[in-house]
This record gives sequence, C-alpha cells and structure tokens, in this order.
Amino acid sequence: MHETIQAVILGLLTGGVYALMASGQTLIFGVLKVVNLAQGALVILAAYLSSSLFDAFGIDPFLTVLLVAPAMFLLGTAVQWCLLRPLHRSDAPQLSLLVTFAVALGIEGVLTLVYKSDYRSIQPGYVNRSWTVAGYQVGEVRLAACLLSLATLGALALLLGRTRFGRAVRATVQNPTAARLLGVESGRVAALGFGLGAATAAAAGAVYGMVYSFNPGSHYDLISRLLSIVVLGGLGSLGGTVIAALAMGVVSALVGALVSPVWSDFSFFVVLLAVLLVRPGGLFGARLRGAL
Amino acid sequence: MSAPLLEVRGLARRFGGVAALDDCSLTVRRSTVTGLIGPNGSGKTTLFNVVTGYLRADAGQILLEGRRVARPDPARLYRRGLCRTFQQPRVFADLSVLENLLIASGRRRAALAGPRVRADDRDRAEALLAEFSLAGLADDPAEELSYGQRKLLEFAALLMSSPSLVLLDEPTAGVNPTMVRTMERHIRARHAAGTAFLVVEHDMNLVMRLCDPVVVMAGGRVIAQGPPGDVQADPLVLDAYLGG
Amino acid sequence: MRTAAAIAALSALLAVFPFLATAPWVMTIALFTLMYAALASAWNLVGGYAGYPSLGHAAFFGLGAYTEALWFNHHGIGAGLTPFAVLPLVGLAVAAAGLPVAWIAMRTRADVFAIVTITLLFVAQTLAYNLRGITHGAQGVAMPVPDFAPATFERPFYYAMLALLVLALLLSHAVLRSRLGLALLAIRADEDKARGVGVPVGTAKLGAFALSVGITGMAGGVWAYYLSFIYPQFAVDPLVTVAMVLMVFLGGRGTLWGPVLGAFIVAPAQQYLAYQYGASQLYLLGYAALLVLVMLVLPRGVLPTLGDRYRSRQRRARTLRADVGTGVSADTGGDIAADVAGEQP
Repeated sequence: MHETIQAVILGLLTGGVYALMASGQTLIFGVLKVVNLAQGALVILAAYLSSSLFDAFGIDPFLTVLLVAPAMFLLGTAVQWCLLRPLHRSDAPQLSLLVTFAVALGIEGVLTLVYKSDYRSIQPGYVNRSWTVAGYQVGEVRLAACLLSLATLGALALLLGRTRFGRAVRATVQNPTAARLLGVESGRVAALGFGLGAATAAAAGAVYGMVYSFNPGSHYDLISRLLSIVVLGGLGSLGGTVIAALAMGVVSALVGALVSPVWSDFSFFVVLLAVLLVRPGGLFGARLRGAL
Repeated sequence: MSAPLLEVRGLARRFGGVAALDDCSLTVRRSTVTGLIGPNGSGKTTLFNVVTGYLRADAGQILLEGRRVARPDPARLYRRGLCRTFQQPRVFADLSVLENLLIASGRRRAALAGPRVRADDRDRAEALLAEFSLAGLADDPAEELSYGQRKLLEFAALLMSSPSLVLLDEPTAGVNPTMVRTMERHIRARHAAGTAFLVVEHDMNLVMRLCDPVVVMAGGRVIAQGPPGDVQADPLVLDAYLGG
Repeated sequence: MRTAAAIAALSALLAVFPFLATAPWVMTIALFTLMYAALASAWNLVGGYAGYPSLGHAAFFGLGAYTEALWFNHHGIGAGLTPFAVLPLVGLAVAAAGLPVAWIAMRTRADVFAIVTITLLFVAQTLAYNLRGITHGAQGVAMPVPDFAPATFERPFYYAMLALLVLALLLSHAVLRSRLGLALLAIRADEDKARGVGVPVGTAKLGAFALSVGITGMAGGVWAYYLSFIYPQFAVDPLVTVAMVLMVFLGGRGTLWGPVLGAFIVAPAQQYLAYQYGASQLYLLGYAALLVLVMLVLPRGVLPTLGDRYRSRQRRARTLRADVGTGVSADTGGDIAADVAGEQP
C-alpha cells in the first residue's frame, strides 16, 4: 500500500512535467494541424542547453529557462517559417509530419556531433534532496518541476484566454478559413504558435535534464511518450492533454513500482493501443476523423 | 405491402450542446424521389451522415428494406445499395475519370486481389460515361474536370453499384442553369429505371417539379411531409423558414 | 518497348555485377544498395500508394533479423544456403506480427498511424535490449558464420538481396495491376469518400501493410545472416526507417521505380562515405538535410517531376506540329517554338 501511494505521488509529479511537454505539442497541433515529431528533440536540445549553461556558468537550471526559452521560441518560429510554410499545399499534412521528423533527426545529429552520445544529466546540489511528508518521499526537484510546469501551463492558458494573440490562435484552431477571412494572419499565428510550443520545451528540457539522464537519442523515447499522451488527450485539447499526462504519469509509475521499470516504458504504448482500440478519437473526444 | 426502402426512427445526434438531430423519423418508399428541405442547420446533412454511417447516432434506429442496420458502415451500406453524394463533390483527383467509376463498382474484399479493370466493370463504366456525356474525358485525371462535371462524375460513379437508394446532397448547388437541367434529366432517367432518391436541395422550383413526397426538417426533426403542394401550403413550414 | 529493354538491361547488369566487380567493399556497397532498394520499394507500398507514412518499419526489419538469428540458435538449421530458404517463413512471421498493430493504428488517420509506428520503433528497441532471455540484450545474438569462400563471400548475400528486390518490385507491380492498387490510390486521395463507394479500406490497407513489412522482415533476415552478429541498436535503427522514407521521397513516392532510383542514389553515397570516413553521426545530419531539401524543392520526387517535364514537352511539340501543319494560328505556333527553343540550352 505504501509503495502504491508513493508511486502515485511520483506519477503525479512526473505527469506534471509530461503535461508541460505535451501541451507544447498540443498547441502546435491545434494551430498547424501538424503532429510535431520534433517536440521530443526540442526538449532534449533544451536540456543540453540548460546543462551547458549550468556547467559553464553555474546558472541554476531553473533560471536557465529564462535564457533558453527565447532561443527555443526563435528556433520554433524559424522552423515553421522556413521549413513548414513553404510546403506544397496539396501534400502539406504528410510532408509536414516528415519535415518535423527530419528536424528531430537534424537536432539529434547536431547534438551527437557537439556532445557525443554519452548519457549526462544536470546535477545541481539539491537534485537528490527530498521532503518526507507523512512517510512519503517527495523529491524537491520533481516538486519544483511540477510547480514550474503548472506555472507555465497557467501562463499559457492566460495567454490563450486573455490576449489578442490568444484569440487569434483559438480562432485558427477552431476554423482556419473563417479566421483568415476575419483578418487573422494565419501564417504569423502558425509561426508564433510553433515558437510558443518550442518555448514550452525549454522549461520542460531543464526539468527533464534534472530528473532523467539523457543523450541525443533520448528523443525517440520522449516523443513516444508525448505522442501517446497527446493521442490519449484527444489531439488538440489542452485540458485533455493535462489529464492524459497525469494519468500516464501515474500508470507508468505504478507499473514501474509494482511490476518492473522496463515494463513502465511499455505502459505508454499499451495504453495508446488500448485507447485507439476502444475510442479511436482519443479519450477526450476531439474528432480525429476528417470533418465531413 | 413490403417494407419501405429506408426507415429511420427516433434518430438523435448532439454536437456538444447542440442537437443536430432530435427524435428524427422519416421513411423513403420505393421508386420515389423524396425531397428533403429545411432551413440551414436543420440537420439535413447530419441525417445523411448518420444514415450513411459517417457519424454514429446517439439514439435511434435505421432500417434498410425492413432490416435493422446495427452498425452502419459506409462501405457495407454501399454494397447493400445505399449511397450518397457530398455537398462539395468528392472525386478521386489523381485517378482518371474512368477509374473513378471502376473503383465504385462495389466489389467485395476478395476482388481486391483481382485485376484492376474487369471487363464487365469497364463495359458498365463506359456505358455510364456515355450516358453522362463524359466519355471523351474517360482517361483524363478527375482533377481536370469542372465543378459541375465533378458533380456529374460523382453521381455517375455511384450508379456503378446499381443502387436502390441514392442520397443526393444539393445536386445542383453552385452549377450553371444548363447543368441544373442536365442533372435533373439524369435523376429523372434513373428514377424511371427504378432507382429511389432522397434529395436535399435548396432550389425550390426544382424540388416542386421533381420530388414527391417532400419532407421538411427544422431543428433536427421532421415537421411536415406530404405531396409538394400540401407542404408548400403548410403554415408550419413557412414558420420554420421565417423563424430559421 | 523501350522500358522493357531498359529493365532487361538493368536486370542483366545486376545479375552479372558480382563477376565484374569483385572487390569485397564494392560488393558490400552493392548488396546494401540492393537491400535499401528492396526496403524502399516495400515502404512505398504503404507510405507511397496508400499514403500512410510508417515511421516504424525499422522495427519490422529488426524483428526479421532477430527471427532469423534466433531460429538458428535454437534450431540449428545449419549453415550454408539453408538460412536463405527459411526467409519466406520469416517474412510471414513478421507480417503476422505486424497485422494486429496495423489493424489498430490504421483505423484512424495517417497522423495517428505515424504516431503509433514511431512509438512502435521505440518499443521494439527497448524490447530488444530488455528481453535478455531471448535477445541477450546489449550483448547481441551471434549466428553461425557461413563457410562461403572468402573471395566470393558476399556473392550469395548479393543474390539474396537482388531476389528480394525483384520480389518487392514484382509485388508492387502486381499490386498496381490489381484492384488493390486502385483501392490504395483512392484511399490516399480521399479515404472517407473511398468508404462511401464501397472500397473495403481496412482490408486494402492491411494487405498493403502485410506485404510491406513481410519484405522488410526478410531483408532484416538476410542482413542478420550477412553480419552474423546483431546488436539491438543496429537491428532496430531509426536510420533504417529514415533511409526508406528519404529514398522513396527522393525517387518518387507512389511510383514503381522511384524508390529504386532513390535507393541507388542515396545508398551507395552513404555506404561509400561510411567506408571512407566512417562518421556515422554525420549520416543523421545528411539524411535530415537531404530529406528537408527534397520536401521543399522536389516534393513529388525525381521520377514524377521528370515524367511531367517530358510529357509537357511532348505535348507542346505535338501542338506545335499540329499548328504548323494546318497553318492555323501561326502566332501561337511561333510562340511555342520560341518556348521550346528557349528550353534547349
């Protein structure tokens, strides 16, 4: 019992971090209708940048986010503007998917050249400290990470809900054609949306780097988890994504604790297949089939 | 008295908080051209989508020739003789005009392993292309057709399966007057040959000329039906249009 | 007729190639090129004809490799040529393993299919590392080294890969000539509409998928026997998937010969660079850059683009002749003539 509850706590904390990574993915899907296969690679890239800033200048990993996020935002915007926007219209969906895949590989390639393929992690002094609450361990970094995720998600929700840009994004998500007719510059919204999605990867990357060890190839692992979450959440629904991320975090922590860590990796895939089997539209409803 | 060709009972379908179909029931009898009219948003296209298996109903039953359709699936319904066109004509742009007909011949799974073009399918397709005056375009890619020609092609392709009931979603919307008459001629010819139709159409003159009976929908349910003259005189119908 | 002659010439060249070039490194490059041509043709069945881009084909390649290797270790079929004889069974096993996943993954749209397949790739790699009882994890699995003469050691593998390429092309050709081919093209164009005209879309997609991963698995089997030692990171290598995608898009997806052309361009270059410089982390960048470049500049691939050029030139030449011949609209005729002349450098 103790073990189970401990796993649930761990899972919720981990799920919070996944929620952050997956929300960037969801945002990009919502705005561009493109599954961004580079999201995992963007997180790993951000993790390396944070790690380098920490190693070279001793900047606290949480603070590196302030530097890395703008850089990732620019990178994301550039990817959309230079690589996705010019794609030939009729084939755009399939081609964009593969272009983001190519971007992921490109990032992996660059990281391998620069950092080699050894595993590393970000190790500030407090990384292994934890509080004990009623007999349960709560890792400080994980808790802080989860809080940072929640803060970023909150900021994202405010941005989408309260600003002009946010309205333009939501309009584009719901009906691109109508939004364009109403004067929303869909190209700019798409670029900014991609940038924002990439910027969330910056926050996620710093956190990921403290909690897990990583190498340039880790993005395959990460993207598999993120995509499972996004499908479970119903592609394009931010609320659904957060719930799905927490659920996946708990399931995989439980499997890890009660069965074996190896199988916890599979819990994602198994849940993904189970969801697709039962509800091809994802648990939280957004329609997957093309609108008629 | 044999069972009606198509009967729907108490269909319901909601999108979020909006009831697109709400206890919708109607009947299409054999050898009729049934008109389906109603203001925009009254649920006509949703009804098509549910009846042809593109959307799940939240409640209600669909009966085809008296037999309940438990899990409507577009491909299976097509092979059972029920088919539809789309408001915006949908043809396979990369396939040739002839291939657009061949693929619609409604063959079963086993035929996938067979030849791409079966001689009997080709004969039927060529006859249909001649009937629809598209024979000269048989080998052109469908993407080169005009809007009106695409509507004709979409309709002609469905006839490859010798359907018993064709659902036409605004067959004359957006085409020129000549094409409207052409379309009407083809519907009449096929009707004379025994095919039944359920037609959503906004051109009231066409509906009054072509359809009997006419069914009126509003707010996701059927509010009136009967011969075109009666429906036209029904005050409820006028209310629905003015209110909508 | 010209096509038939070209195919005959190419086949003859490939058939006698091992006797023309005998240096082992050349043979290695040649056999990997053939392997990639077969793999790309296989990928094309699903990614090209049906428009469902699989990112997980490397998982089936790895599954084929492990199936072949483990079969040997547990049943000792013996060395020599027998390992090639069991390949069809390996192909069937891989296809059978792929069907349930594909059945679920292909129920929705191409996006979700791509998601499931890329996840599958990762799952397969993790399995290869962690099912130590079967795969020996990171230690890898050894196969008996065949007793072929060292001077012509590559030859049997070369012919096995060539046979796989021929099989992949014959199957692709048969698919194109069958109603399945027509159904796949319809699915790629508009799957919902295809269902609306009675196309059994599920069966068509699964059929194409089974053929595709079956060939992929067999290629994995030959590869495993050739290397005679397989490690998880090479058996289930994302680069294999990327290579297939890149070659198909470069040559022309949805065409019979496009994937072969793409493989004949990319694979020798990659193998040669690997042989000369051995910088494997560079391929990743090279593949990524080339893939983006193809998508942006040549989204339909080399063959279809050339085909269009050729056809439009012929059409213009025909109009030109017709116009000049009948003396009608000399003006337009002149314009076209200038146009055509302008295109000749």
